Amino acid sequence: MGIRNNAVLAGKACLLVIFVLVGLAVLGCAGIRSAPEGGSGGTIADGTLFLSPALKPAGGFGCAAPSGAGKLVAVNMSDGSRLWEVSLETAKPAGGGFGCAPASTPVAVYGNPAVAGGLVYVGGYNGKIYAINSSSGALRWVYPREGNLQPIIGGPVVALGKVYFGCSDGKVYALDAATGDTQPGFPFSTGDKNKIWSTPAIDGDTLYIGSFDKKLYALNANDGSKKWEFKTEGAIISTPLVYNGTVYVGSFDRHLYAVGASDGKVRWQFSAEKWFWGRPVAYNNTIYAGCLDHKVYVLDAESGSEVVDAIDLGSPISSSPVVAGNVIIIASEEGVVYALDAGSNQPGLLADVGEAIYAPLCTSDGVIYIYSQGQNLHALNATSGAKLWSLTIK
Amino acid sequence: MNPWDLIILQPMLNSLIVLCNVLFNNFGLAIIALTIIVNGLMLLLTLKQIRASKAMQALQPKLTELQKKYAKDKEKLGKEQMRLYKESGVSPAGCLLPLVVQMPIWFALYQSIMRVMAVIPENLLGLSQYLYSWPVVYSTLPLQNKFLWLNLATGDTFLAILVGGTMWVQQKMVMTPPADPRQQTQSTMMLWMMPLMFAFLTMTFPSGLALFWVTSNIFRIGIQYFVTGWGGLVKPAPKKQVARDKKYKQRIAQVEQAPSGGADIVVPSSTQEEGLDYGDSGSKRQDRGGGYPKSPRAIRRQPRRGGGHRSKGG
Repeated sequence: MGIRNNAVLAGKACLLVIFVLVGLAVLGCAGIRSAPEGGSGGTIADGTLFLSPALKPAGGFGCAAPSGAGKLVAVNMSDGSRLWEVSLETAKPAGGGFGCAPASTPVAVYGNPAVAGGLVYVGGYNGKIYAINSSSGALRWVYPREGNLQPIIGGPVVALGKVYFGCSDGKVYALDAATGDTQPGFPFSTGDKNKIWSTPAIDGDTLYIGSFDKKLYALNANDGSKKWEFKTEGAIISTPLVYNGTVYVGSFDRHLYAVGASDGKVRWQFSAEKWFWGRPVAYNNTIYAGCLDHKVYVLDAESGSEVVDAIDLGSPISSSPVVAGNVIIIASEEGVVYALDAGSNQPGLLADVGEAIYAPLCTSDGVIYIYSQGQNLHALNATSGAKLWSLTIK
Repeated sequence: MNPWDLIILQPMLNSLIVLCNVLFNNFGLAIIALTIIVNGLMLLLTLKQIRASKAMQALQPKLTELQKKYAKDKEKLGKEQMRLYKESGVSPAGCLLPLVVQMPIWFALYQSIMRVMAVIPENLLGLSQYLYSWPVVYSTLPLQNKFLWLNLATGDTFLAILVGGTMWVQQKMVMTPPADPRQQTQSTMMLWMMPLMFAFLTMTFPSGLALFWVTSNIFRIGIQYFVTGWGGLVKPAPKKQVARDKKYKQRIAQVEQAPSGGADIVVPSSTQEEGLDYGDSGSKRQDRGGGYPKSPRAIRRQPRRGGGHRSKGG
């Protein structure tokens, strides 16, 4: 009796399996990623550009970690040649078991490296901070020496002989820049259930950092004590900008806030349609803020009023703009680079790299450096947009 | 934005975020609530599918009969089968069609959970394009990934076992044990294949997704129970049945041989008269587990055949 019934059930089971597999395969291509890919912007020092490339996107059903080494690369800015590269790996498997976890996991890096005193500092998604000799690529120290912190998304900053960074465990750490030793008064905790993805900004002896708990914190960079906190209606993951005694920061509540650097009082707030993801830039008492609603907002730094109507670039803007001379260079996610004249505030097309751009831009001596998700580093003339060289960094 | 994202994914994703806000910013509770709501909305389809499966099972004796009768004439067999389906009002596609319709909804729910979880910056960045411009949505993000002992962003072994276990129970409920040993092997393989596959996937996916699977499975087990009972989950025990029959007959004999001042009962001459119908193994309420009455007094009083009556005093 059960033969036909079981044939039907077999058909159903097979159909279900096919649907699940096809569905997961489709979802794998639907932009949902299970493993971090990273990809930092570049940091320039002494004619060398340091960056961590993005890992190749993972495929498969969630157990495939991204391929690629996970590394820090030093590039000669004059000709685009590779000076050295060092692998960043962690021996701890990514989890998953059943043999699908690799013996070592490549480390995704999101935050820009920081350079000071002949060392390059870089924080990894594996929860470690590396200090690497900027000339040779040799590892100087790593923190923590044993085990790992929670993922480090924001980049480190160096000031007052210390390296500062925020961590996904909700804490702000400070380490001795030369030795990697922890500093008294740190880490500063914002709460056990909280996360910090923001890169800190330092002005004088004050450190400013945003947090998932919707607050902007101002800390004494010497002893880790809190000076003030400013609460918004959304999480803050973007890097604050400190300019003329005011801290400018975007929040997930779709507002750009101007907060007094000394007292934490709000000066003004500007509402957009989506998040401000990247750090804004300031030039000539004007704030230029790219937004995920495809627009660049040009605001008066004192009042927050719009200097010109918002400029629609046709694609979300997640990378931080840069100032090159009297031109603001802004890249949209779809890979189009615009130059915004600071005098007229009118945009002009500079270049189209044809690859998605998420990483912050950097500039030096009239050249713009852009690292795309296509794993290419492009060097463009800031005035003409002409490509000077490009280098594939995987 | 493509129609799929606009019509299905975006509303579901934003609902999940709002639910999270309403449910004390607890993402685990939001996943459970949305899974129940979505399954509730698809209840009619689910019931249709279960009933169609049940109707197919009920037709099996007749289908087997036809297969035997027209074993050598496939064309005739096909016609007779179609006629039987038509007369019985059963559609062979009735079991599969609702399943096919539900699949995209499950995928959308899966996508929503994975996207909203946004444990890595790439996913959080991508999430922004799916959000409605409701303040509640923006103020709720990013979501907390802690729920009970779980980090909803990482795999969990216990939850993987729970996913496999609940899926096995659900599968077992809809299956009837085949008589043919070869079919038995095939059936057993099918019974284990899906739960094991899902348990394995659960180990590698965030446990937020596993929470959705477990909730979905439990919901469907409940629905299945109300329509068909425990089904194949109740172990058929034909040997025990025979033994029980023997014991039952012995008891009847004892009662009938007892002196006239004995039990004040009338024992039915067959199990049919007492309303016992063993039926097919696995069918609902065929065996309530009570076995045969412990006390003769528990047996239902019935008029004696022939209209007679045995008085208490003899």
